[in-house]
Amino acid sequence: MTLLRKPASVKGTLLVLLLPAGIALMGLAWLVHGVLLDRMSRDFVETRLKDEVAFLEHQIRDSDGKLDTLQTGDYFQEVFHHAFAIHSPSRSIISPDSWAPVLMSLIESGQDGTHRVQDSGKDDTPADILAYRKSFRVGDTPIVVIVSEDLGALKRSQAELHAWTAIVSILLILLLVAVIWFGINLSMRPVVALRATLKRLQDGKVSRIHVEAPEEFRPLVQQLNQLLDSLDQRLERSRDALANLSHSVKTPIAAVRQILEDTSRPLSDELRLEMTARLNDIDKQLEAEMRRSRFAGPQVGKSAYPMKQARDLVWMLGRLYTERSFELSSSLPEDARWPIEEHDLNEIMGNLLDNAGKWSEHCVELSLSQDSGLLKMKVVDDGPGVTDTEIGRLGQRGLRLDEQTPGHGLGLAIVREIVERYGGTLRFSAANERGLRVMVDIPLAVSRATY
Amino acid sequence: MRLLLVEDDRLLADGLSGQLEKAGFSVDTTHTAREARMLAGQEEYRAIILDLGLPDGNGLDVLRKWRKDRIAFPVLILTARGDWHDKVEGLKAGADDYLAKPFQTEELIARLNAIVRRSEGRTHSLVKAGRYELDENRQSLKSDDGTEHSLTGTEFRLLRCLMSRPGHVFSKEQLMEQLYNLNDNPSENVIEAYIRRLRKLVGNDTISTRRGQGYLFNDIA
Repeated sequence: MTLLRKPASVKGTLLVLLLPAGIALMGLAWLVHGVLLDRMSRDFVETRLKDEVAFLEHQIRDSDGKLDTLQTGDYFQEVFHHAFAIHSPSRSIISPDSWAPVLMSLIESGQDGTHRVQDSGKDDTPADILAYRKSFRVGDTPIVVIVSEDLGALKRSQAELHAWTAIVSILLILLLVAVIWFGINLSMRPVVALRATLKRLQDGKVSRIHVEAPEEFRPLVQQLNQLLDSLDQRLERSRDALANLSHSVKTPIAAVRQILEDTSRPLSDELRLEMTARLNDIDKQLEAEMRRSRFAGPQVGKSAYPMKQARDLVWMLGRLYTERSFELSSSLPEDARWPIEEHDLNEIMGNLLDNAGKWSEHCVELSLSQDSGLLKMKVVDDGPGVTDTEIGRLGQRGLRLDEQTPGHGLGLAIVREIVERYGGTLRFSAANERGLRVMVDIPLAVSRATY
Repeated sequence: MRLLLVEDDRLLADGLSGQLEKAGFSVDTTHTAREARMLAGQEEYRAIILDLGLPDGNGLDVLRKWRKDRIAFPVLILTARGDWHDKVEGLKAGADDYLAKPFQTEELIARLNAIVRRSEGRTHSLVKAGRYELDENRQSLKSDDGTEHSLTGTEFRLLRCLMSRPGHVFSKEQLMEQLYNLNDNPSENVIEAYIRRLRKLVGNDTISTRRGQGYLFNDIA
C-alpha cells in the first residue's frame, strides 16, 4: 500500500506491481498444468488397463476358461506392451516373469479394481505400478485377470513435458518483462519529452511547450502554457506600467527638486501651489498604476466568496456614509464561490458602491445573482443620475485622469478594466426615475478558462 | 478640541500638528504604539488620528485594544495602503473613518469634524434582547458568546424594530415600514427573505412566526 500511496516513480511502481504479478500468475499456471497433466495421464492409463482386462476376459471366455489354449507369451506382450497376470485354480500366467512377485500378491489380495503399488521392495520390479484386477467365473472356474503398467516410465515422460512447460513459461515471463518494459517506456516517452521541453524552456530555448502529449497530460501542458501566457502578460503589463509611471513621475520630481534646491529663490504662495499640484499629479499616477498592477485577472485556482465580501463592503460603506442606507439583495447562498480573484471582486464591488454612495441621497442597493453561466452584479443608487450623453463617457479608458468626471472617475475606469479582463461587460443605464444603475456581467466560462 | 495624533513620520507629524492647531485643535503627538495606547487610556480626547504603520506595532492592534477597553473616542485611521480589504479591516477593528495617504489637510479636517459631530449625538446606544446586543453605532449584532455580525441597513432596522419590544408581534405591514428599498412597491416576500436572513444569524427559534399576524423576537429562547 505504501507503494501505491507514494508514487515515487511511475516506472518503478508499474514494474514492482506488474513483474511479481506476472511471475506469480505464470507459476500458478505451471502448477495447475502439472496437476492436470498428472490426473489426465492416470485416467488415460486406467481406461486402457480396463479395456485390456475386458479384452482378456473376452478371450478367456471364448476359450471356455481353458487357459492353455490361449496364445500366451509374446502374443499378449506384443498386443499389450503391458504386464499382465491370468490366474485360475489350475494355472497362472504372468508376463513378464520379473513382475511375478508383485502381481502374485495382487492376485492373492482378492480385491477387484484399480490398485497402485509403490515400492514393492524388489529390485527388478518397477517401483511404481498401476494395476487393474478383475475376477470372474467361466463355468465353475474362478479366474483372476490383472493388467498393470509401470507408472515410473510414464512419470518420467510426464516430468519431461512438465519441465518443458517450465522452460516455455520462463521464456514467456522474460517476454512479458520485455513487453512491460517496452510498454512503460513507450507510455512514458511523452513525459520524458515534456521534461526535455521544460529544460529547454528553462534555458530559454523555447517560449512555449509544444509536445504531442497523450490525453492524460494534455490539460497539464495546457495549464502550463496558460501560466506562461499570464506570466508574460503580467511582465509586459508591469513593464508598461512602470514605464508610464516613471515617465509621468520623474518630470514633476525634477521640477519640484529644482525649485527646492534653488536656495536663493523665495517660496512664494504661487510656487507652493504649483509644487503641490505636481506632487498631486505624482500621487494620482502612482495610485492609478498601483491599482492597475494589483489586478490579478482570471487565474486558475483563485476564487472568492461574493456574499461575504459584499456584506463586508456594504457594511463598511454604510459606516462611512452614515446618512445613506446600503442594501444587499441576493439569491446566492452565503457560501457561494465565484471564480474571480478576491481582490479583483473587492475592487469591482467596492468602487461601484463607493461611487454610488457619493451620489446617492438615501439608498444604494447591491444585487448579486448568477444565472445561465453569468455572474451578475448590479448597483443602483437614487442620486441625480447621469444624462444620456454622459453615460457614454462613464469609466472610459483613454480618458486622462484629469479629464474624467469627478466622482464617477478613476473607480469606474478601474472597474471597467477588471471586468474586461474577465471577458465581462459593464453597462450603465438610468435607474427607475432618477439615479444610476450599473450592471456588471461576467461569464462564468471565460473567467474560468484561458488567459 | 483636543486631538491625539499617532504618526511615526516626524516630518508629517510636525507639519500636520501645526496645521491642525492652526485649524483650532489642540494636538498631542506621539510616534509610537506604546505611548498611544497609554495616552488614550489616561487623557480625554475628542478624536484620534491613528497611523497604521507604526514602528513598534500595528495600529489596528492598538485600535482593537482601545475598543476592547471601551475607549470610545472616534478614530480616523491613516494608511498608505488603500485597498478595500484594508478599509474593511480598519472599520471592523473599530475605526470611524479612513483616509489614505497622501491626503489634503482640508479633507482630513473635514473628516475629523464629521466623525466628531457623529460621535457627539450618539449615546452608547445598545438594544439588548435575550442573548443578543444590537450596536447602533457599528450597525452590528453581538451575541453573548462574543461573535459580532455586521448588518446591512435594512437588516439592522428590522432587527432593531423586533428587538425593541421582545415578545411583541409585529405585522408584516409594520415591518415593511422599516424597508428602505429602491423598489417602489416592495412585496411581503421581501420581508420573508429578510426574516430568513436574520434567522441565519440569530437562530430559527429566536424570531418566531405567528401565522397570519406577523413576527416576534423571543428574548427567552
